[in-house]
Amino acid sequence: MDKTIDQIDEKEKRILKMNEAPSQSAKGKKTSEFFPEFEHHSQKDIVVGVKDIEKTFVLGTNKVDILKGVNFEIKRGEFVMLMGPSGCGKSTLLHIVYGLEAPTNGTIFVEDEDIWAHSKNWRAYFRNQYIGFIPQQAFWIKSLSVIENVAVPGFIGGRGYRESIERAYKTLEIVGMKDWAHYRPFDLSGGQQQKVAFARSLLLNPKFIIADEPTGNLDQKSGVQLMDLIKEFNESLNITVLMVTHNPDQISYASRIVRMVDGKILSDTTDKEQINIIKNEA
Amino acid sequence: MKLNFFLRKKDVSLESEEDYEKKHHKASNRPKETWKEKHTGISFSMISYISWKNLKVGRARSILTIGGVALGIGIITFLLSIGFGMQQMIVSEVTKDNPIDVIDINNGNLDNFVSLNEDVVGKIKNIDGVKKIERRVNTGGKIILGESQTDVIIYGATVEYLDMLRVKYQDNGGNFSNDGDSALISDRLANLLGFGNPYEAIGKKIVYNIALSKDVSSKLDTEKVTENNEITISGIVNKSDNTYIYLPSKMLEDKFGVDSAQEGKVVVSDMTKFDNVKQQLEQMGFVTSSIAELIAGINSFFSTVRIFLVIFGVIIMSISAMGMLNTLSVSLLQRTKEVGIMKALGTKRFDVFKMFILESIIISFVGGVLGFFGGYGLALFVNKLLIILGKRMGTDLGYFVYVPTGFILAIAGFVLFLGIITGVMPAFRASKIHALEALRYE
Repeated sequence: MDKTIDQIDEKEKRILKMNEAPSQSAKGKKTSEFFPEFEHHSQKDIVVGVKDIEKTFVLGTNKVDILKGVNFEIKRGEFVMLMGPSGCGKSTLLHIVYGLEAPTNGTIFVEDEDIWAHSKNWRAYFRNQYIGFIPQQAFWIKSLSVIENVAVPGFIGGRGYRESIERAYKTLEIVGMKDWAHYRPFDLSGGQQQKVAFARSLLLNPKFIIADEPTGNLDQKSGVQLMDLIKEFNESLNITVLMVTHNPDQISYASRIVRMVDGKILSDTTDKEQINIIKNEA
Repeated sequence: MKLNFFLRKKDVSLESEEDYEKKHHKASNRPKETWKEKHTGISFSMISYISWKNLKVGRARSILTIGGVALGIGIITFLLSIGFGMQQMIVSEVTKDNPIDVIDINNGNLDNFVSLNEDVVGKIKNIDGVKKIERRVNTGGKIILGESQTDVIIYGATVEYLDMLRVKYQDNGGNFSNDGDSALISDRLANLLGFGNPYEAIGKKIVYNIALSKDVSSKLDTEKVTENNEITISGIVNKSDNTYIYLPSKMLEDKFGVDSAQEGKVVVSDMTKFDNVKQQLEQMGFVTSSIAELIAGINSFFSTVRIFLVIFGVIIMSISAMGMLNTLSVSLLQRTKEVGIMKALGTKRFDVFKMFILESIIISFVGGVLGFFGGYGLALFVNKLLIILGKRMGTDLGYFVYVPTGFILAIAGFVLFLGIITGVMPAFRASKIHALEALRYE
């Protein structure tokens, strides 16, 4: 039974308000107004270099080869979508590039750093300072407000509360979520939460963003809003994006599609026509 | 030590991470940075802030856990503050009229009788650690006033001896002196002599008979009684429990040849030499006693009581600690994803450890502070209540609640220890959570 406006509780009202409101994103504004330092990204062309990556999981007495010699490079400013059927190894590859999971063999360079040649704490620092991360499902520190959660990467990097909160406010403003700054994250809708997760990934001016099916749990409208935002940052600030997705509707956002099957790269194209063909096939 | 026992193992790839890191690092020539060089980690103030906020999320659970610690600390504080207070009150009562640096001696040891004459006094003064010695002659006699006569104890002493004994007497202007020939009598004796108000006896002349023996005079071979000696009463000893008269010892010597005493008080100059002085006095043949021994006995008794209270407290605190451990473990389970995302975003293992251990310390510390003030306050309340009740029943009860500084420091140390010991395992488990493991955790 449909509810009247009086029967809608406060939480639902907030969600409706969010869905009805146009995105208060960086549209019409230059993001560099908020973050002038974004203009000074490294000019090195290659952001990610993946060489002969193999990954084998040992499950009981069985060895399962998830990645079987993967090679590719990601250039600065590319919007790379990693696609493929479930179990093909795309999320594992993403985690290896992000420095969370060790490969069995091979080398990964991110921003010219051989990330697995360093200590665990070094990788933690590197992730914190140089890579933005948007998980499939946003995870939050329950005790903190939205703005404090966005500021968490700043806290982790040793920045003070005030500085981190000021930066968090700016990022919330550019993703159109500043009005929700003092709510609890779990009071927000899924789409709003993913926008906040995107704001969190932007906090420390990353040169490179990794997204693991960020719209996987969102309705179509929220998914489009989030993808628009990511694309906008990719284009206006030359932020490199590596994203895993199953959704063929999002293919048009990518500047490059890497398709994986059975732990190997099936195809890798930047050609617009090829991308359209892949979209139509999907 | 392999502590993977605490880590939930879902896939083996997590185990191979460090092996890969070592192998790969060996293959590359890149110098291996340490976290100290780059990653400063979360500031202490931010860790404290997040820990505090986390406690506020499970408010009811946090309050109950803090309450458990507060109850335990409160009970311990309540019991021990009363124990310490009682001990202090009893010791203070005992030492009120008895200086702690005095050894009482008497020659009551019949097997090895020693007269406390001038020669022996000289030897005692030469013992290392002896500050001074005062003697008291103790003999019997009879007091006669008109028709009244009564048997009394006759003491011969100096003013200094009376001061050391803290004898309270009223002598209307200090007429009783070492060189004088007047006497102090106990108020009880004054009553027996017919003075309803003992002070009316002051200035009156009385007649006394004194029994003398070779114990008090080296010039005598046999006992004798010297009768009909006259003396003026110069003062009254208040609140006495016996019938006695004090005569100046010099007068006794001049008049009756009394040159030895049966008992004395030896003042020790340095308490570290107390035992040595006491031992030497005993070797000379004297029977010794001191208030220090009594106090040691009292302290020993209360120490035993405290041991039982501490054991009781440890049992209570063990229950509180289990409550804390349970709270922290449940909190850890509920926050596995939080820890995961924090690690994914770059949090160091040690920062996660610090965050959890700090939560434990906050619980323990807040509980400790509340418990301490609660227990102390309750003890003061009970004390006050008993004082009021005592007054109504005609008893003058003093304050018997006392918390020594050492106890406060011990409680603070214990609370810190409790926080660390109960927090260390959950904190260690939290620090071992792998980011991916947590992000996959359902």
